[in-house]
Amino acid sequence: MVLVPHLIALGLYAVATALVLAPFAGLRPAPRALGLGVPLLGIAAHVIGVARLPSFLGVAPTLSMLALFLVALQAASEGLFRASAVGVFTGPLATGLLGLALLIGLAPEGPPASERGAWSILHITVSVFGLAMLALAFIAAALYLLQFHELKAKRFGPVFRLFPPLERLDQLNHLSLVLGFPTVTLGVLLGFGVQYAGGASVDAAQVVWGMLTWAVLGWAVGVRVVRHWAGRRAAFASIASFTAVLLVYVALKLAAPGTQRFL
Amino acid sequence: MSITVLGVNHRTAPLEVRERFAHERREVPASLERVLAAGARGGVLLSTCNRTEFYLAEPDEAVPEAVWAILSERLGGGRSASEYGYTQRDRDAVRHLYRVSSGLDAIILGESQIQGQVRDAWETSKAQAGPVLHRLFQSALLVGARVRSETGLATGAASAPSAAVAVAARIFTRLAGRSALILGAGDMAELAATCLASEGVRVTVVANRTYERARAIAEQLGARALTLDEAWEHFAQADIVLSSTAAPHAVVTWDRVAPAIARRGGRPLCILDLGLPRDVEPAIAQLENVFLYDIDDLQAVAAQAAVERRRDIPAAERIVSEEVERFWAWYGGLVVVPVLKEFRERLDQVRAAELERTLRRLSHLSPDDREEMEHFSHSLLNKFLHQPTIALKEAAQAGRGYGLLEALKRLFGLERRDEP
Repeated sequence: MVLVPHLIALGLYAVATALVLAPFAGLRPAPRALGLGVPLLGIAAHVIGVARLPSFLGVAPTLSMLALFLVALQAASEGLFRASAVGVFTGPLATGLLGLALLIGLAPEGPPASERGAWSILHITVSVFGLAMLALAFIAAALYLLQFHELKAKRFGPVFRLFPPLERLDQLNHLSLVLGFPTVTLGVLLGFGVQYAGGASVDAAQVVWGMLTWAVLGWAVGVRVVRHWAGRRAAFASIASFTAVLLVYVALKLAAPGTQRFL
Repeated sequence: MSITVLGVNHRTAPLEVRERFAHERREVPASLERVLAAGARGGVLLSTCNRTEFYLAEPDEAVPEAVWAILSERLGGGRSASEYGYTQRDRDAVRHLYRVSSGLDAIILGESQIQGQVRDAWETSKAQAGPVLHRLFQSALLVGARVRSETGLATGAASAPSAAVAVAARIFTRLAGRSALILGAGDMAELAATCLASEGVRVTVVANRTYERARAIAEQLGARALTLDEAWEHFAQADIVLSSTAAPHAVVTWDRVAPAIARRGGRPLCILDLGLPRDVEPAIAQLENVFLYDIDDLQAVAAQAAVERRRDIPAAERIVSEEVERFWAWYGGLVVVPVLKEFRERLDQVRAAELERTLRRLSHLSPDDREEMEHFSHSLLNKFLHQPTIALKEAAQAGRGYGLLEALKRLFGLERRDEP
């Protein structure tokens, strides 16, 4: 039973998204417990669904896992940073990704998860989690730029009232970038390990473009950590690096279409 | 049995009158003692810059006169404080306090400072409050908290100084521990600086054209006093600059502060210009990570919050009404028991006296018959009392016991404690 928990999660994510967006439509904000509780329930259902996936290979299971990590990071952002506005992006994104995964179909694309190596599962999980962290860094940067723009333009509308303070968004961007980059790096290294163990094949284009995006991400982290960029410049760097990741993924996918493999 | 509030507030008296009535904490017990001596069973004095109110439990007729006398003495010039005053009784008095603690009766709708002031008043007056007012003030604090949590009455910043705090809070994660530079030493600068300090902001420098005035405010805020010309360098360190000078032109100019701001290393700087005309050159807002807001901007923030708060007035009033009924039900229940006991005792005395008189006339009756007569009289009394007792208890539980009790006391002469 993979479908039912996924459908429950999809419904709860949709409700959580509606709760996050409601204040922007002039409605009263939901109590914090509800705003945090609904996605947490969705996560619980989703974890059950993911644990029952017969295979982690393929676009659909990866999208499902990415949606799960995005909502988990959304809940963590709200719990630790009181940044419920993160859900403005993660909510629709995770709901859309999970919906897309269900549309593509979560049917087995490869050998059952139980029959595949633990390293392979770890590689996929760590890589997707790293990607979700980088997505969070991107979202925090986008929120920062929006709030910055509103504050500079002296517009005191919903963004001013409902988005977190600039400094907190900058901290969230910093933390998710600094944690996301090593996580992605670890995922890539685990991927090499899996490849050498004969568990998967990677073509040369993937390696070259993968290394290039890794270098761009490394630059975004470097300017924050080594050159102490903060605020708007750091937000732009973060957005540029994640955009590079997305563009490279789209290009590689166009070169080798299909839903059997995420990459 | 009654609760009364007598007082003045921002609706009934101008500031220069209200400030004469304001009591310092140490003055409260003496004023309350005078009121209690005039014949009240409990009193709490709530004194803020916007109101001075005496809440009284079961005041005698002489008490209002005593209250107005206390306030008239402060007013001076032979004027009577009652000209500026109002009186509310019973449910209206309870409703009044609940509306005050909820911020419904405040100049700035929903302001939360009053909650702390109600708590202070209650704590200062605890020795004189008595059980009824003790319960009333305790419940008022809960009602205030309930209104603020269940409605949007306290959301946003509804005054220019609190809007200044709200704007700064959209830039910095925490205001506590941030450093502020204050330019100017007028009332507005002082008020806004106090507002920031109440959020934990450290006012490090107060600068003014005249050093002496800067020093007076700096001492109050634990800051350093400077002249304006010495202040520009501090733009490199301060997180928040609050300006409210009386200068007829901009004093914070690009040439004066841009070099210091360039040394900040990209740290955000929030400049709040409360001056009229403006103190800060608008071009300074073009500097990276400098956020400049003038009085119009802050008033726009405040106006928006006020509009949103006003939408929640009906919901807040509903909560207040609900809580007034709840308190009144408790209060009615509180007094119904002793009155019923007295009522029963009074009728039992009548029963005993009449029985004795009858038995004297019927001396031929056997002891068994006399006992039967006594039993009959008890039974008859109980039957008569049953329905009124039930009705009174039910009315008290529903918060409608007060009127019935008053009627009962009047009809059966139960005002024993008032008898000489």
